Amino acid sequence: MSQPKLSRRSVLFDTLAGGLALACITMSGGLANAAEAAGEPLWFGVSGPLTGPSAQYGAQWKKGFDLALDQINAAGGVKGRPLRYVFEDSQNDPRQSIAIAQKFVADPKILIELGDFSSPASMAASPIYQRAGLVQFGFTNSHPDFTKGGDFIWSNSISQAEEQPNVADFAVTSLKLKRLAVLHLNTDWGRTSKDIFVKAARERGAEVVATEGYLPDEKDFRSTLVRVREANPDGIVLISYYADGAAIARQLKPVGLNQPVVAVGSVYSPKFLELGGEAVNGVHTRANFFPAEPRPEVQGFVAAYRAKYQEEPDAFSAYAYDAVLVAQRVIEAGGTDRTAIRDAFPRVKDIPSVIFGKATFDPETRRVSGVRNVKLVVKDGAFALWDGSVPAAAN
Amino acid sequence: MGAGYGQGFELTPEGPIIVFPTTLGPWLDYTINGLVIGNIYALLAVGLALIFGVSHLINFAHGSVYMVGAYIGWLCVTKLNLPLPVTFVTVAAGCGLLGAVIERVGLRPLRNAPRIAPLLATIGLSVVLDQSAQLLFSPDPRALPTQLPTWRIAIGGGSIGALDLLIAGVGIGSAGLLYGFLRFTKLGWAVRATALDRDAAQQCGVDVDKVNRTVFAIASALGGVSGLLVGMYYNTIDPNMGFQAGLKGIVAQLIGGVGNVPGAIAGSLLLGLIESYGIALFGTSYRNLFAFVALILILVLRPNGLFAQARRLPPEPLTGTFIAPSRPLVLPKWAVWGLAALALALPLAVQQPYLLQTLGNAWLYALLALSLTLVAGTVGQVSLGHAGLLAIGAYASSLLALDAGVPVLLAVPLAGLVAAALGTALVYPAFRLRGHYVSIATLAVGEIVTLVILNWESLTRGPIGVTGIPPLSVAGKPLVSGQWVYWVPLAVLLAFAALQSRLLNSHLGRTLRAIREDDVAARSYGVDLNRYKGLAFAVAGFIAGVGGALMAHFYSYINHETFPAPVSMLALTMVILGGLGNVAGAVLGAAVLVGLPELFRAAAEYRMLIYGVVLLLLIRFRPQGLLGTV
Repeated sequence: MSQPKLSRRSVLFDTLAGGLALACITMSGGLANAAEAAGEPLWFGVSGPLTGPSAQYGAQWKKGFDLALDQINAAGGVKGRPLRYVFEDSQNDPRQSIAIAQKFVADPKILIELGDFSSPASMAASPIYQRAGLVQFGFTNSHPDFTKGGDFIWSNSISQAEEQPNVADFAVTSLKLKRLAVLHLNTDWGRTSKDIFVKAARERGAEVVATEGYLPDEKDFRSTLVRVREANPDGIVLISYYADGAAIARQLKPVGLNQPVVAVGSVYSPKFLELGGEAVNGVHTRANFFPAEPRPEVQGFVAAYRAKYQEEPDAFSAYAYDAVLVAQRVIEAGGTDRTAIRDAFPRVKDIPSVIFGKATFDPETRRVSGVRNVKLVVKDGAFALWDGSVPAAAN
Repeated sequence: MGAGYGQGFELTPEGPIIVFPTTLGPWLDYTINGLVIGNIYALLAVGLALIFGVSHLINFAHGSVYMVGAYIGWLCVTKLNLPLPVTFVTVAAGCGLLGAVIERVGLRPLRNAPRIAPLLATIGLSVVLDQSAQLLFSPDPRALPTQLPTWRIAIGGGSIGALDLLIAGVGIGSAGLLYGFLRFTKLGWAVRATALDRDAAQQCGVDVDKVNRTVFAIASALGGVSGLLVGMYYNTIDPNMGFQAGLKGIVAQLIGGVGNVPGAIAGSLLLGLIESYGIALFGTSYRNLFAFVALILILVLRPNGLFAQARRLPPEPLTGTFIAPSRPLVLPKWAVWGLAALALALPLAVQQPYLLQTLGNAWLYALLALSLTLVAGTVGQVSLGHAGLLAIGAYASSLLALDAGVPVLLAVPLAGLVAAALGTALVYPAFRLRGHYVSIATLAVGEIVTLVILNWESLTRGPIGVTGIPPLSVAGKPLVSGQWVYWVPLAVLLAFAALQSRLLNSHLGRTLRAIREDDVAARSYGVDLNRYKGLAFAVAGFIAGVGGALMAHFYSYINHETFPAPVSMLALTMVILGGLGNVAGAVLGAAVLVGLPELFRAAAEYRMLIYGVVLLLLIRFRPQGLLGTV
């Protein structure tokens, strides 16, 4: 198993070197495959939101997919054949994701399916993929029951059981916060995360003095934050995505909250800085990757991403990028047979991954463990490595 | 973990934990916060009130205009670096123009169409505007930095900034200006005259079109400026920001009394306070629940709004005018049976699972449309919260099957009964309402259902949702294959369609239509309105509940986001497309609207835009629907 790992790594380094030149001549993933891979393309299907309220995440996915395919196809694709994808817009709606599922399972060229975005859309389609024997590979599906849909349902989404104790460590052990207020998205992801976080924080000796769940489209948090303030916390924990996380950060001061803030890794996005402005300075987060990390997976992703899109990558494009690397490896190992691709999951080991470093699937849970993370803090409008300083206690 | 304070405020078996802050301090803060957010709602509510006052139209495109204003502002601020006053003028001018265009293109051609047509046109316009913005500017949220000074005034434990004051100033200032304009200018008189009686005003020489154009331009300019201000306030704008904001604006102006500009401001502030105090007492996840419960209470107790004069004419004329009179296309009996037989035989000839699934979805949605067409078409109670019935049916059936061990085959009809009972009980307070008020009340009921599902964790499992819902099975054999996802919904649909057709042809159908056409006359003939409305809602609830239950068993996983508000809008569009009250029309509408987006799949990012345009064209050229109203 060390052979493929080595070649994979050299691919990434090559791409890093040639990434700039490559990105300049390619405008989209579709054009990129001509470079080295040739012949009949291999296809994976994507079911995800391109329109509707979650469209921004689908747009970030696309960037991650295209980047990964640029690199893979420039380096010979999968056994010399280019890898491509069909992106079907589900609007994050279960009615459409099940129709897409039927479409994909009936289309023999689709070897593996990636997505959907939310649990209702993804898990409604799971029975169809499972029955038809096409792997549904969810890469943002942290719902604890997602992979229980059957042996064709796999995920490299970060397990919250692993992620949240890390966040609790950062808040309680590193930053010495003892009275925490938790604000969380009131979705299956946010709720699961909150429950695990609260348990982990208590185990580390902290008290959770307030928990507040908010709806994804909420913008006004002032009264929520007054409630938090009245509970008298010494630190605030955000289980949020970047847009709502930034909105909360901006409203802290206006209600008189100056406590240190710790956010989960999904706020890691240039948009968090842009939308949050000065208010996010000092926010701590335990991100799953950081552009300055020397790991080759991170460098291969970040440098090429900047070159291709002239912007900083975020967590969602990193998840999508990682998902394509997994798809490439399992198709390489399993060939063009859908069941063989399923069987390849436990066999492919140490898949290069931005989020996990090296990803290996556990055949029992059909998930990946060993999420990488770095402790970051926002400093002068940019994410920086946390220097170990404990913020002065507020109040 | 210390005392109960931080436990979260779920509806635990012991009930929600209510915490009263012990000092006055936080209450001052909650009050200020309520006024701050109410301030923001007011900006939208004033424009909506103005438009409603004149054209009796709830303008669902207003939220989209607000979004466009935010983007024009964003271009001015970040790309052109214009000074703030110039930005304001540009946004107002741009959106004013947009408003005039909306009036000219989307609404004026519909002035003689039934009342429902312009309402739908505004929904279509909002889809077109939102999707265009998404294509132009990408769905990513963007920052809209403010150039205002950063000083803040400390009040209570918190503070307010220059932008808060500016928003309050614009809200109150524009309301004042509007008041003056309506009272003291000639055009203002014309506007008020048109609002009172369009035809009479026209006869007196008022250029009604000009009045409408002016009103739309003013309201839209104001809407655009609100978008800019709110974008700056939160430092974020995105193409979907309009829907939720527009909804809150509509709620606020209803609380104040539709068409009442000062009332809209008071209603907005009140809504903000209700939300803020709701959060203070029960927690953030209850926020909208209180807003919508308050709305229903106000609608029921003071249907003209809190601030309406007591002896005003009801702003909605008799509900009969809601429906386009038309001669329905009646299919001969043999054709109906033939089509049904063909539909049933289809899977024998075509084995494409994608096609069968899409049609199966269409039949499931046709159940929803069937249910809605009964209450909206036949009885004239246009419901905007019908997705709530799906959700009740879906949860009832899933929980009966999973937690009570009821066999799925039995759980589905039981879920229908639950949806019928709960749905009727929830809408019951709205039975005394008419026209638009029914729509808004049902919209609120739909939102309440979603929020109760989210918060009643001990029963519904809250945001985690219900997993592992067993599929429908007969004699231990699960009906999950390609043909069954088609046949099961189709068989149920045909049964209900036949039942509903019989119902409509009976004396019951005539009574229900009589209520729609003229409820006063119906009552004077001894028709007990509540009883018949209740009967219609019960039948409708049963059909939709069964539909939702079937969906749940096909999906295997549901949570509070599975049946969101846009599903209700979609259902209404289906019903109107097919022809209100028309059973075959409901089926056709569902097939077309589930099918169209699938047909446009190749156009991925453009398909919602195409959908919006098709919707607009249909309303423009065939407002009575494809098969005509019954």
